[in-house]
Amino acid sequence: MVKLLVCDSVTKKFGGIVALDKVSLEVSKGELLGLIGPNGSGKTTLVNVISGVITPDEGRIVFEGKDITRLKPHRRVALGISRIFQGMRVYPYLPVYYNVSLSARSVYKDARLARAKTTWALTITRLLAEAGELPINLTPYKLRMVELARALVTGPKLVLLDEPFAGLSPSEIDEVIEIVKKLNENGLAFIIVEHKLRYLMKLVNRVVVLNEGKKIFEGKPDEAVSNEEVARVYLGVL
Amino acid sequence: MSRLAFSKPSKLKRVGSILPALFIAAIYMLLPTFGLRGFWLDVLTRVNIFLLITLSLDLYSGTTFYLNLGVPFTVGCAAYSLALLNRYLGVPVEYAILPSAAISLVLSLVIFLPSLRVRGAYFSIMSLLLPIVMAGIVTSQPFSLYLGGEGGITYSPLFFSYARGLPVKERAFFLQSTYFYISSIAAIIAFIVSYKVAYSDFGFMMRSVGQDELLAEASGVNTVRVKLVGFLISSSLASFAGSIYAAMRPPVTVDVFIPANTLVPPLTAVILGGMGTIVGPTIANYFILLVYEALWDVIGRWRVVLYMCLLIVLVLLRPQGIVYYLYTKLKRLVSSKIAELTAGV
Repeated sequence: MVKLLVCDSVTKKFGGIVALDKVSLEVSKGELLGLIGPNGSGKTTLVNVISGVITPDEGRIVFEGKDITRLKPHRRVALGISRIFQGMRVYPYLPVYYNVSLSARSVYKDARLARAKTTWALTITRLLAEAGELPINLTPYKLRMVELARALVTGPKLVLLDEPFAGLSPSEIDEVIEIVKKLNENGLAFIIVEHKLRYLMKLVNRVVVLNEGKKIFEGKPDEAVSNEEVARVYLGVL
Repeated sequence: MSRLAFSKPSKLKRVGSILPALFIAAIYMLLPTFGLRGFWLDVLTRVNIFLLITLSLDLYSGTTFYLNLGVPFTVGCAAYSLALLNRYLGVPVEYAILPSAAISLVLSLVIFLPSLRVRGAYFSIMSLLLPIVMAGIVTSQPFSLYLGGEGGITYSPLFFSYARGLPVKERAFFLQSTYFYISSIAAIIAFIVSYKVAYSDFGFMMRSVGQDELLAEASGVNTVRVKLVGFLISSSLASFAGSIYAAMRPPVTVDVFIPANTLVPPLTAVILGGMGTIVGPTIANYFILLVYEALWDVIGRWRVVLYMCLLIVLVLLRPQGIVYYLYTKLKRLVSSKIAELTAGV
């Protein structure tokens, strides 16, 4: 498979704490990769490093053959890397439409194209009826959809989802999974960080397990379940 | 915060609100022909110029929440540049307005650029220090020798050479009404530009930076560019205000750098009006400055104390402002009344 993203020996330290210790991983085009590990294992730090929110101390990030290690986050979005944050992060005083359209307008010079893409993203996430609403009037599920629409509107090739199921009911999680699967069928790659392993393991093709900043496992979901070290790290959660 | 404050009105609604605004602007511009002159014409000219400073503050600080307290620096640099161009290079005041505004804009950009890297209170403190430092420089040796010290720099005001041949009474009215027209046109242009920018996609990007800069950056918005261009547009208004104020009201003194004179009234207008709404601070600008002039005998030099008390009360009780809220309520009431009347017909 064609490599979309390559993280090569990425290290990030915060003072004396090593958040990521020579982590390497690859994501192929159209792949669904799960990124799991206990709290403080470095999952979100890795997502931040890939999206450019923080710069690694060592190592390289390569996207479609281009070294993007020092590239600003907005430039990475233009290249095709989008993300949603842990927790619901939206612009609180902007209507849903602008929450989504601003990202489109930043990437597409043509205003008409940006509008069309915004309408498409709002349709996919079933938010058209709420386009004029302020985020404060939305349910957690709809807020998650706003984040997803904002990530999709820029036409990404890789989407980083940081705990997309947090705060959602089982039926809402199923709806998110349905949307992710549909987008993945069209060739969109995902890295999904999640604690709700029951849902994640059914969704992804491959998982990477982090513990204390180190990669301890990489393979198929069912292999992860039977892996002793992974089981030890999760203390029987699996 | 009001939902209406940040939603773009429809085309029809925009046309509907442009017509009354045009009518009000036309009546306002005709005030001298209706017999307004003397003290109040002078006051309105000053309030018009202050509107540029208010809009400058509202456009940048009201949207990005980077509270720029260094506006007096930009205003003062423009005013002193005009005076210096006139005194030392002999450039007539009429021709010095645009170059002095440009000089101030470049100076502001160079000085403020490093401080755009810091956020929140740090940016505000850094920006506030600049006019205070400038006030010290202007009044200290050896700069005061060239900058006029406390007394400032004096020169012939704008269009004085054209009015020289007129009788004294007519000359005063000619200058006053000309200044009023120029300042009114500047205020109208500044309002249109600010409104267009604040409610454009770029304006909403400025708001996104204000509401969550990290999210904006990670969602594709080039936050550095947005802050820089926003600052440039906003400072252009403040620079131009400084230049035309100096052109019309010599001498230029250190007072222009004092925040109590050129920062506190516009800041009060922005907070009273509703940050980032443009319309609210515009109405508040005229309201507070005209009320202040009308109550001069009562409050006199307690103005700054009054403004500061008003600011504290507003920040504590209604940080989203009052004027824009009342304006939208009134607009909705008028629209519903019109709808009722037309339904009856």
